[in-house]
Amino acid sequence: MGPPSRETWAQRLGAFRASPSAFMAGPEGEDLGRDLLIELRSEKLSEQTKVSLLALSLEYPAQLWPDAAAAEAAATSLLDTLVLLPPRPSALRRPLLLAATTVLAAGDALGPTSGASRRLLPLLLGLASGRDLGRGFGPASEQRPLQATACECLRELESCKPGLLGDCLGLLRRLLGQEGPVQPLSLLLALALRNALVIRAKAKAGLQGLLVAGDAPTPGGPWNWALAEEGGAHPQPQAPSWPAAEDEECGLAVLEPSPEEARELRAAVAQLLDSSYLLTPVAQAQLLWLLGWALRGLRGQPPVLFKPQLVRLLGTAQLALLHAVLALKAAFGEALFTAQDEALLLRRLTLAAQHPALPLPAHLFYLHCLLSFPENCPLGPAGEEAAPLLLGPRLGRSLLPSLLHDPMALLARLHLLCLLCAEDEEEEKGQGWSPQRYLGELLAGLRQRADLDGGPRALAALCFQASYLVVRCLATQPLVLTPLTHGLAELYRARPALAPHFVDLLDRVGPELGEPLRAVLRQEVVSRAGRDEALRWHLKILAKVADGNAPSATLGFLRAAAAHCTDWGLQQALLRVCRTLMRAGVREGLADLLQALARQLDDPDGRDHARLYYILLAHLAGPKLGVALGPSLAAPALTSSLVAENQGFAAVLMVQEAPAPIRLSVGPRRAAGPGPVLQLQVEVLEPVFSLELRFRVQGQLYAPLDAVHVPCLRPGRPCSPLLLPLQPRLPAPTQLSVRALYATPAGLTCHAHLPPVPVNFEDLFLPFPQAPDDGDKQGFFEELWDSCLPKGAESRLWCPLGPQGLEALVSRHLEPFVVVAQPPTSYHVAIRLPPDSRLLLRLEAAQAGGVPVALRTDHWAVLPLAGDYLRGLSATG
Amino acid sequence: PFLKALLFELRLLDDNKDFVESRDSCSHINKTSVYGLVIGGGELWPVVAFLKNNMIYACVPLVEQTLSPHPPLISISGISQSFELLFGIQDFLFLGQKNDTELNTKLNQLPDLFLQACPFGTLLDANLQNSLDSINFASVPHPQKQPAWRVGTYKGKPQVSISITEKVKSMQYDKQDIADTWQVVGAVTCKCDLEGNMPNVTISLSLPTNGSPLQDILVHPCVTSLDSAILTSSSIDTMDDSAFSGPYKFPFTPPLESFNLCYYTSQVPVPPILGFYQMKEEEIQVKITVNLKLHESVKNNFEFCEAHIPFYNRGPITHVECKVSFGQLEVFREKSLLVWIIGQKFPKSMEISLSGTVTFGAKSQEKQPFDEICIGGTAYLKLHFRILDYTLTGCYADQHSVQVFASGKPKISTHRKLISSDYYIWNSKAPAPVTYGSLL
Repeated sequence: MGPPSRETWAQRLGAFRASPSAFMAGPEGEDLGRDLLIELRSEKLSEQTKVSLLALSLEYPAQLWPDAAAAEAAATSLLDTLVLLPPRPSALRRPLLLAATTVLAAGDALGPTSGASRRLLPLLLGLASGRDLGRGFGPASEQRPLQATACECLRELESCKPGLLGDCLGLLRRLLGQEGPVQPLSLLLALALRNALVIRAKAKAGLQGLLVAGDAPTPGGPWNWALAEEGGAHPQPQAPSWPAAEDEECGLAVLEPSPEEARELRAAVAQLLDSSYLLTPVAQAQLLWLLGWALRGLRGQPPVLFKPQLVRLLGTAQLALLHAVLALKAAFGEALFTAQDEALLLRRLTLAAQHPALPLPAHLFYLHCLLSFPENCPLGPAGEEAAPLLLGPRLGRSLLPSLLHDPMALLARLHLLCLLCAEDEEEEKGQGWSPQRYLGELLAGLRQRADLDGGPRALAALCFQASYLVVRCLATQPLVLTPLTHGLAELYRARPALAPHFVDLLDRVGPELGEPLRAVLRQEVVSRAGRDEALRWHLKILAKVADGNAPSATLGFLRAAAAHCTDWGLQQALLRVCRTLMRAGVREGLADLLQALARQLDDPDGRDHARLYYILLAHLAGPKLGVALGPSLAAPALTSSLVAENQGFAAVLMVQEAPAPIRLSVGPRRAAGPGPVLQLQVEVLEPVFSLELRFRVQGQLYAPLDAVHVPCLRPGRPCSPLLLPLQPRLPAPTQLSVRALYATPAGLTCHAHLPPVPVNFEDLFLPFPQAPDDGDKQGFFEELWDSCLPKGAESRLWCPLGPQGLEALVSRHLEPFVVVAQPPTSYHVAIRLPPDSRLLLRLEAAQAGGVPVALRTDHWAVLPLAGDYLRGLSATG
Repeated sequence: PFLKALLFELRLLDDNKDFVESRDSCSHINKTSVYGLVIGGGELWPVVAFLKNNMIYACVPLVEQTLSPHPPLISISGISQSFELLFGIQDFLFLGQKNDTELNTKLNQLPDLFLQACPFGTLLDANLQNSLDSINFASVPHPQKQPAWRVGTYKGKPQVSISITEKVKSMQYDKQDIADTWQVVGAVTCKCDLEGNMPNVTISLSLPTNGSPLQDILVHPCVTSLDSAILTSSSIDTMDDSAFSGPYKFPFTPPLESFNLCYYTSQVPVPPILGFYQMKEEEIQVKITVNLKLHESVKNNFEFCEAHIPFYNRGPITHVECKVSFGQLEVFREKSLLVWIIGQKFPKSMEISLSGTVTFGAKSQEKQPFDEICIGGTAYLKLHFRILDYTLTGCYADQHSVQVFASGKPKISTHRKLISSDYYIWNSKAPAPVTYGSLL
């Protein structure tokens, strides 16, 4: 394959430009950068083609050479190409310089270790200072444009590495004073000066003769990176925030230039400003912004230096220049602009904001400037749009909106008018002119236009934007809001198709307009016969504005409308209104309507829907209903809204599995009554409503247990113990598995498994109904004792005693069951074990370490349980 | 995606019919030509964009501050630079443009021009014609101390051409409670072909004794100094009766190309043509009466003079029965437009009239002209006229008052003309849109 021709290059570049990232990811991507550099030296391609190749490297350096190493290599190659150019005029020198600079800057390869940087910088500086660089750099006629280009390149590098040219300020000043090209040198000097000042201030260092040191780095000598590295150590946004933040000013105030240095700095700035007239307007503006930033808050630098330029600048119509004046105003405030100057500036701005000779975008920008004007003594909070104090009613009146204005101009002027109205409220009325009245008429005109049948959507949007703006600025003025409310209602009457705009407006305005507007719109809708073409809009509005007020009228409208809701969409809209009413807590009459709808609607989806709503309304209490309908629905499903809505309800109506915020524990035993009862203590970590606890016995040892209900539980508030009667089928311990069903404060129903509750052997103990109160207890016991055999079983065992002794043990564990007691040595205990067993104990002749126990029971299976129990007693203490 | 987002924001996409919240919401208020575009889930801000001459001009400036929250536009220097660039492109494309081929040529030149005018994205000159010239001038040795906006030098016969164009606009209502308004907007265009690096020129604009003072003067940036009286004379608050009435001196170093030295406005005592327009709707037809009167002080020698009477939001014209006292009437049925061609001169009486009835057919959507203001009886007639060698203010540039500090004595030529622009006479039998000025 031979070298690519001009055509193949054109094709390749076309493919690249169409989608750079896709091309670079493709098979050809890798080679493009390399081929491009090689082709630049080819003698077959025309200069024009090479220029277009270079333009590509200017536009997409980061794509072509993505990392620092590649960028470094590319820049080196570009510089080689530059040096090798034959000494005749060539269109390539300028783009080559630009490309080398761009590649270095964009590839982040600029730095003291980069060979290409070390070559490029002295070259640029040499060109910029007009030094003769030998025949290799083209004929003399090309020197001048190259000088300018070199300055541009240096400026780009300086802005990437602030402080890079810190050493060259003196040289640049000299060049500017001599024959150098004014514009590029001025901009370069201003930028380098600004950066040097900022870096020195950050480092809390003085100026150290920065401005006079005139010796540029000698050709071939080392470049001084010190200031640039200092600058790199303090990265900062390039532009200060606006309005002037105080800390920013302190930044430069630490620079305390000596009188000598201050004089030099003044001279440098004056030099720049004096020749600023020679710059193009946009460049003048850049210069002023730079110098404004550079000198703000710097001591010994009176901003008066700028004054001679101001009159000239104020006279022009140039957007960039007036903007730069505003920047100076913001930077220096009263130090540069007296109250009279401020007034004059405002007059010029006001004038420019409406001058027939200027284009609309300029008008709009000037209006913005007026609303954000950097005042000397601002009254309002910073950052809010406000009418400047000195603007006054006379100037303000010249900027009043009218229907003939472009929408954006109208809104901007309307904002100003609103601000004037807001001020006017505080002042006394009079002079016959009322901004409020004018505002009212303007809004009426806008509504009339929005009313235009078949008119573009933009007109309607404009009307509502204006209304919104007015409400936002003048929410406290009934004089404005009342007619606005009624006007909007009239607009709706005339053109219900604007319903989406009304809904949007209601969503965004506060209650000042929202409340009354809702009321009049509801009135407007329900007073109609519900059958005109606009029914779907009426329903849309009603779904927004229906509430608990005058539900009968609303329901009446809906009943009438139902007959005309012939298609699915309308039926859904109708049901949406019902939904709104349900949420608003309307019940009376609504149930009837829903029932009727469930029968009457022809669409099955609509009927299902109505029935669902009816069921919800009939079965859910108010708050729960609110929650059920609360979460806004996802995008309506295409097939059936019921499905979509069900997804919404599902969360609310279905039981959710959840980790329980509930803790259950077994309380002290209560040995009394006909059967054993478990005392449960419940604690909760968050409020729980309608708690239902369900128990299940493992194995079929006990009869099934009833659920326990608790209406409400709150954390930290103890509730009385829950009593759980047990009905054992065998006298045996077991475990109860527990499930909880409850409602959260958010209205969700939750289900949780709780840890199982153990039922111990002793939990089943019941006392015998005492025989004769005073009678023969011993006899009663003996009778029981004898009755156990022969059917039952008997045993003897050693029950170890703790240090407390027998008396303590008995009183602690067996007290309710003692029949005969001879403290401290002998106790006869009779225990009833449901369903119908007994356990009898004789504890007699206790010794120091324990007591021998004789036990009898009529159910043999109890013996091992009783043994374990007795042996465990001393352990439990 | 960028283009689509931009078109959406500028309301240029077709799906304009339905309410779209992100565009039509009442809180989506845009008061400047700066937009935030939602692209791929993120927001691109600020995008400076506007529509002019069926072209969208858009550009994204560099913001040097932190972007969140958005800093106020006034604090971003790139905003005004963007506007200058876009205005510059617009001027480059359309000034002196004759046909589409030429436009395409210029569009193709743009990439090279950007390389010249903003090599690193920093705008050096918004005047793209200059950049084009400087590419071509590249081999000419540049002299020292030359303004950056004066590219190259002129060689040839020295001459200075000054032309004053005044546009007069008016809103006439013929009503008791609404005042008529009119305003003159002037532009002074110069072309100075002078040798030397920085020739100095001073042009003085003068007024006759009964002339109307110039106000709201905006000058070209090449003007070196301004009298404070020029700076403060404004139409907004005419506080002092002794308004500055000239001569208005403008010292400057001219650029090579033709440029607008200054713009001004002025309030003349009477409108050049005073008229009334009465229109009454009667079912499918309207009855109209028009009366126009040329003021005696105005030069009665037009290049042309026409009254356009449009009928909006109605069907096509089916029948016209009108009588004019002077000139002739043309009917554009499909456009629902009557054009009354008055010609070069008003008759001796200075007063002419038109009366008759116009009948309309059934309204078919889309075909007939739509207007958002002319609803019902609200209607206007618009005057189009041009008078050569005349200004309404009387403003003129005296050849002898032009001072040129350059080698050779230049030939000085001056031109004047008056053009109508937005000259409306509203139907006095129905409501009409009013600006604030009319309410006093």
